[in-house]
Amino acid sequence: MTTSDKQMNDYLARLRAALTGMTLAEREDIVEEIRMHIRERCGDPRTSVEAILAGLGPADELAQQYRTGLLVQKAQHSISPLVLLRATLRWATTGVEGFLVFVIALCGYGMGVSFLFLALLKPFFPRNTGLWAGPGEFSFSFRMGATMTNPASPVRELLGWWLIPVCLVLGSLSLAGTTKLIQFLLRRFRWKVPFVTTTNAPAMMAM
Amino acid sequence: MAQLRFGTPEVETTDKWEAQMRKGCLEMAVLASLWHGRLYGLEILRVLERDSRLVLSEGTIYPILNRLRAEGLVQSQWVEAEAGHPRKYYELTQNGRERATRMAETWTEFSAGLGFLIEPVLKDKETERAL
Repeated sequence: MTTSDKQMNDYLARLRAALTGMTLAEREDIVEEIRMHIRERCGDPRTSVEAILAGLGPADELAQQYRTGLLVQKAQHSISPLVLLRATLRWATTGVEGFLVFVIALCGYGMGVSFLFLALLKPFFPRNTGLWAGPGEFSFSFRMGATMTNPASPVRELLGWWLIPVCLVLGSLSLAGTTKLIQFLLRRFRWKVPFVTTTNAPAMMAM
Repeated sequence: MAQLRFGTPEVETTDKWEAQMRKGCLEMAVLASLWHGRLYGLEILRVLERDSRLVLSEGTIYPILNRLRAEGLVQSQWVEAEAGHPRKYYELTQNGRERATRMAETWTEFSAGLGFLIEPVLKDKETERAL
């Protein structure tokens, strides 16, 4: 095995190892395509394997482009909060815009789950769960201590058993609204393209 | 010339803006490169460079093609080549042709409208040069 072959095989092994979250067939298809690209480029005697591998970029980064592409593609058509959160988390690693989308997703899903959780708690802790209102306070929450049984407390619970349907509706709306918003934002995801330039200008980093 | 100007804040801003604009057109450019028939990855890079002066890093084109394939805009096929090793060829699907057509129409309308708007800018620039 020549040094060039070893360099190529090492690169492909790193690529294969980094291509997680896809089927074996998809992974091997990608690795073979990159192998054929390297061989094709090696046909030019003026080009070294080092230069070809440098053109492809680090194996980890190349794999990440594939993984991000497939994850965002999957998330655009998914209603699973887990898939959408994973996609926005990956987007968050690419810049401020992605980080903001991830925070929006986290807050939206967090709010939805909190409402549903309150609806679930109400039958078991009816005196501690509610929509509380008092001086300077108005919030849906679970409270330790028996606020409702203390007549001296200025804080009052407003909804009673109506809390359950209200929280179920608000929770569902939060989850559905966040899902739709994140899908909408993911369709506007801009792909990281390391080099895009013109042939009559020096190459530049696009992002 | 351009290299001499690299590093100044004004030029960096211009470069970023230009790069953002080119990135926005990338999907359309890749789909358009396949309009006349199937091509493999390296050929697509060469067509983009030759016909549109877009130069991508070699590792960039393959994840893009993979995504377009996942979206059903292109389909791929391994073909035994005379080069002694197989090549993975890409071609547009019906959806891909429709998407490319819509993108080209939108692009043409957009650039025509913008061209009308920036015409005076270019005319003034030419007048300045003449003086």
